[in-house]
Amino acid sequence: MNSEHKFNVAIIGAGPAGIGVALGLTKRGIKSVVLIERNDDIGGVPSIYKKKKSGIPTFINWIRGRVIFGEDYAGWLHQKLSKTDVRIWRASKVLRIDPERKSITLVNSEKGPLDITANAVVLACGAREKSPVEFGWLSGARSGRIFFSKNLLELIDQHDILPLKKPVVIGSDLNAYAIAAKLKQSGAEKVAIIDNRQRPKSPLFSRLYFRLWKSKPKFHAHVESVTFKGNGAPSAVVLDNGTSIPCDGIVLSGDLIPNSELALLARLKMDIPSRKPMVNSNFQLSEPAIFAAGNILGGFHGAEWCYFNGLKVAKKVAEYVKNG
Amino acid sequence: MSDIKGKILYEWLGEGCIKNLQFSDPSQLTGDPYDIAIIGAGVVGSALAYKLSQYSLRILLVDEKFDVGEGTSKGSSAIIHTGFDAAVGTLESRLVTSASLMWHELSEKLKVPFQQCGAVLVAVDDEQYNQLDKIYQKSLDNGVEDVKLLTKNEVKELVPDVSPNVRGGMSIPRESIIDAFSISIAFSEIALTNGVDILLGSRVAAVTESGNSVKHLKMASGKEIPAKIVVNVAGLGSSKIAETYGGEHFDLNPRRGQFIIFDEASRSIVNKILLPIPTAQTKGVLVIPTISGNLLAGPTAEDFELGDKSATATTIDGLELMLKGASKLFPSLTGEPRIGSFAGVRCACKQGTYQIRYNDGLPGILTVSGIRSTGVTSCPALAEYLIEGLKKECGVSLKPDPQAVDSRPESSLPGWWKHPYEKNGAVKARPDYGQIICNCENISHGEIIDALDSPLKPFTLDAIKRRTWTQTGRCQGFDCTMKIAELISEHCGIPLDKITKNGPGSEIVSR
Ligand SMILES: Cc1cc2nc3c(=O)[nH]c(=O)nc-3n(C[C@H](O)[C@H](O)[C@H](O)COP(=O)(O)OP(=O)(O)OC[C@H]3O[C@@H](n4cnc5c(N)ncnc54)[C@H](O)[C@@H]3O)c2cc1C
Ligand SMILES: Cc1cc2nc3c(=O)[nH]c(=O)nc-3n(C[C@H](O)[C@H](O)[C@H](O)COP(=O)(O)OP(=O)(O)OC[C@H]3O[C@@H](n4cnc5c(N)ncnc54)[C@H](O)[C@@H]3O)c2cc1C
Repeated sequence: MNSEHKFNVAIIGAGPAGIGVALGLTKRGIKSVVLIERNDDIGGVPSIYKKKKSGIPTFINWIRGRVIFGEDYAGWLHQKLSKTDVRIWRASKVLRIDPERKSITLVNSEKGPLDITANAVVLACGAREKSPVEFGWLSGARSGRIFFSKNLLELIDQHDILPLKKPVVIGSDLNAYAIAAKLKQSGAEKVAIIDNRQRPKSPLFSRLYFRLWKSKPKFHAHVESVTFKGNGAPSAVVLDNGTSIPCDGIVLSGDLIPNSELALLARLKMDIPSRKPMVNSNFQLSEPAIFAAGNILGGFHGAEWCYFNGLKVAKKVAEYVKNG
Repeated sequence: MSDIKGKILYEWLGEGCIKNLQFSDPSQLTGDPYDIAIIGAGVVGSALAYKLSQYSLRILLVDEKFDVGEGTSKGSSAIIHTGFDAAVGTLESRLVTSASLMWHELSEKLKVPFQQCGAVLVAVDDEQYNQLDKIYQKSLDNGVEDVKLLTKNEVKELVPDVSPNVRGGMSIPRESIIDAFSISIAFSEIALTNGVDILLGSRVAAVTESGNSVKHLKMASGKEIPAKIVVNVAGLGSSKIAETYGGEHFDLNPRRGQFIIFDEASRSIVNKILLPIPTAQTKGVLVIPTISGNLLAGPTAEDFELGDKSATATTIDGLELMLKGASKLFPSLTGEPRIGSFAGVRCACKQGTYQIRYNDGLPGILTVSGIRSTGVTSCPALAEYLIEGLKKECGVSLKPDPQAVDSRPESSLPGWWKHPYEKNGAVKARPDYGQIICNCENISHGEIIDALDSPLKPFTLDAIKRRTWTQTGRCQGFDCTMKIAELISEHCGIPLDKITKNGPGSEIVSR
């Protein structure tokens, strides 16, 4: 193999966690680190959302009581990283890992498909939003205008398009309230938020934060099942108690599901259905050369938590590669 | 690539449709009556168009949906059956068994992914075990002679994680899987290339006759298209159309089949189709590998009234039932990650399957209906059978067209199953083949552009999904949907807010 394609540590995913790992390794004097990112830009989820002058912040991060916007946070990470000699490969999609051979196969629009090897591999691939089947309590028509909140935000933020006038939001995390505020501000009627929980998932202070934009979505608690109605597009959602809420679109904003497919396809140990890779106290998967950091570990963690987690994982990775 | 001789038009005058493909006036098609008009571009209608396009005939293929194959044909198990369990001596049995032998060669011509993965019939209790001999005999009677009865241990060898209750089984080596979406697309593309005109998004409201035995397709929009022969293969829409030309009465109803889709990672634990022993009531729940590398459990069989729009929805109970059924054959499936679900609707006919009526109501009209559970398999043989009948019963003259092609060019292959970036030098020549857009199925920018440029010029999210398998993986479109909408918008000149899932009314922005 080309020596150019041999690294000490390969980090997959350049979000807050992956960048945290890279910075942590550099601090510990680990050389030959490559950070592989499928997108054209690094920064992960926070970098998707651009700051708009008068708009509602889409991505927010509370750091010591202060609200930091996604773009600013990503910029800060980027700047720290630029002072290191970490190799960054952008637009490089990792297709699979082979834990036994410690190799990674990726594809890139300049290089084509390509194998690299590393003594340790860190999965910092982040998380995505649940699909209807993963929610487990959603069913019915599979029409148009059923959005993941990320997709809806792309339309509002990047294209200045307001897709829905009568939205129903499924799930009640931070994102759900951010979405509700955005939609309301952009001209939607009252927003309904539906969850199978007793209380909204998003903590009170962040719900209050979005009241700044006069958004007071109606929360429907303890809903055990929801049926989507409509042909081309949603016309209503019907709750288990028979309540029918008319709508012109549905936004899915539930828990996050780890992007753990590389581990899954390599059949490393994993919890189902949460898709959390099983890790030990050193953040190692069932194959010791493979580590995980950030939101791939499961749960909903903010960018700051993921960054610090990355630093923590870097310590374990550094110990591992130093001890051979 | 060969020149495309036919016209593709969409009856949709909105901004969501590519401008120069909009059908606003019948004069865009032809003045003279078509030799044959086919209503319904499911697997059956498009197979018929493909086979007829080998002759010197002027043909029109019409469908009310905004892509081909969007009716019953889009929601199947995608199995190419051998016909081992068909009712012996029926037309269905004859067509299925003969078609099953065609698909090896045909799939290569169509460039449709096909895999002979084989099936195992699994008996999990004494009662089921006792039925195996009968099923074996039936297979032989159907001319499927390569089946083999299996002992408990032989089943375990073929399917390592099979239920510990297994008592025995039967292997059916030629049961195969196929990319069912691509079948209607491939047939239609070749038919179009050979000069068949294709009109989509246009609902036939009635068929009438004027003098000189010319028939007229009366569209819901009021437009009229003349044709000498009309073939009604409109699936669940066929009975309503038949009423308008006085065809013999028949009763249809949608019979829903729900499926659970498992993650690609689960495919490595089962690579054969697992069939339960059928009971008097149902065929039971199957475990089916898909050609795109996932695994399915299903289908249900739930009857609805004709016209009930909720027939294509999924239900929580239905999916639970499928999981329970599948785990009887394969218990470890309950622990595998599920990524999605879908439902298909069979065209169930009270008068029986494979209803075929020549000169139905009016001379020169052929009605075909009730192609309920085996049409994906049988369509090439059925098309040949229908052509034979059209010649005999309706006097259609069949002069081979020396210029007609019978295969799709390599270049129109969206290629998700053999990624272009895996071919040497492909990314050098087309860097966008190395730019991944769909992260679950690893589909590149280049493949999506190829799909947009393919002969039917698709421009809806679903049409791109059916051609590339984007939006179908474990993230169910979280990563790629907006990128694809942007690509369609840019490439086809459709404003982003007018992009639809599958036609007017499904715009990504509500008005
Ligand atoms: C829609 C959405 C909205 C959110 N909003 C907020 C918010 O407002 N505030 C907040 O604090 N948190 C929010 N989060 C949580 C967010 O996950 C974390 O803030 C943080 O970004 C997680 O960091 P990470 O590095 O673990 O993952 P990510 O930020 O997701 O980064 C993972 C990176 O890995 C890359 N990657 C994945 N797989 C591969 C592969 N196979 N090959 C190459 N690269 C790959 C991805 O492209 C991505 O850049 C949101 C999450 C989502 C999904
Ligand atoms: C759950 C399920 C599983 C199945 N599994 C298998 C399998 O594994 N193997 C197999 O071989 N078969 C299988 N089948 C059966 C197979 O899918 C069908 O037999 C086949 O798709 C029927 O094709 P068709 O062309 O007759 O009907 P359709 O695909 O329904 O085509 C009819 C077309 O007519 C159009 N149309 C209707 N009315 C009008 C109108 N008024 N004007 C214009 N157009 C109109 C519709 O839009 C539609 O596109 C399965 C079916 C289901 C539902």
